[in-house]
Amino acid sequence: MRTGAVPSTAYHDVPYTRGGTVDRTDVGALVQSAADGDAAAWKAIVEGLGPLVWSVARAHRLSDADAHEVCQTVWFRFAQHLGRIREPDKAGAWLASTARHECLKVLRNARRLTLTDDPYLLDRVSEDGTPEQSLLEAEEAAAQSERVRRLWQEFEELGERCRQLLRVLIASPPPSYQEVSAALGIAVGSIGPLRQRCLRRLRARLEARGAM
Amino acid sequence: MNGIDGDAYDEEPGAGGEVHGEEPNDGWPDGEDFDGALLEEELRQAAGVLDPMPPGLLQIAVDAYALHDLDARVAELTFDSLVDAIPVRGATHAPRMLTFSAGEVTVDVEVTADGLMGQVLPPQPARVEVLNGPQPGVPLTADDMGRFTTATPPSGPFALRLRTGGDVVVTEWLRA
Repeated sequence: MRTGAVPSTAYHDVPYTRGGTVDRTDVGALVQSAADGDAAAWKAIVEGLGPLVWSVARAHRLSDADAHEVCQTVWFRFAQHLGRIREPDKAGAWLASTARHECLKVLRNARRLTLTDDPYLLDRVSEDGTPEQSLLEAEEAAAQSERVRRLWQEFEELGERCRQLLRVLIASPPPSYQEVSAALGIAVGSIGPLRQRCLRRLRARLEARGAM
Repeated sequence: MNGIDGDAYDEEPGAGGEVHGEEPNDGWPDGEDFDGALLEEELRQAAGVLDPMPPGLLQIAVDAYALHDLDARVAELTFDSLVDAIPVRGATHAPRMLTFSAGEVTVDVEVTADGLMGQVLPPQPARVEVLNGPQPGVPLTADDMGRFTTATPPSGPFALRLRTGGDVVVTEWLRA
């Protein structure tokens, strides 16, 4: 279990989709229901674990197109295996691990490899503002998005290992350490210490830039 | 009375992989993880704005539920040249060789820029469908030797649905 939980009231107005937050204890039941024909249960699984699968693709620096196809493949395969999955309560780890293996195949298949272009990502944000931003007061949004942008830039420039670990950890809803372990092929026990080290490093970078 | 009771399990290592404040913190002033958690959450919000799961992808994943089919047998991927073969030096366009197995049925597939070729083993006629998603796929027919071919290579995820006799076999979803 995570030690770093923050009271949810601190960000009750989170601007991004939390839609069908899957309580991790319910995943097994949802998988069972979906296997028995409950489409709403399937949707809840997708909404709860989709961002994790996406984050695994991004943690491996896949381009938009590659990330898209890897995620599709993972969900198609999950639907195909639904009802045959041995440990339904570990569906998150199954998805994360499947995503990891598909990502590694993409990376191996060098001709398809396209590195995510960081400036492009940043530009995209400035060009077409997300609908979430419009919910904020205009001035506040400007300051906020500048801060978010700087934070993201420092994050992108972290060492590869830290960037990768944090990219998966910050999926929403937050993944369990078991899922992170499956996503990156690292031991559950090393995630806590690595996480702290990486966050410290990120904070040091932000402070050095006077961004905190 | 004999000292063998559940208390010993409290010592069981590794169950949660938790790390508390004992971790040396490289001189960082606060041993507490609270600020780290805040920073992590701030980063999570940034990811939600700057790199969210695309809504179109979410819809595709929701629609993928239609691929749930308990009547079909899944032919698992047992060989993938991308993983299991040693690349030939200089062969930049080596075909992707795949083998799927479901019980006694094996499907060999070769994907090139020119299309897809395959063979059902043991050799037998079959109706084959190349799927690209939940929608109906492109129908093909395997000849008496079990061979089938199509001139369009699959793009993105694909699977093959084979009907042989009364049996339905679907290969594991894979990215070409």
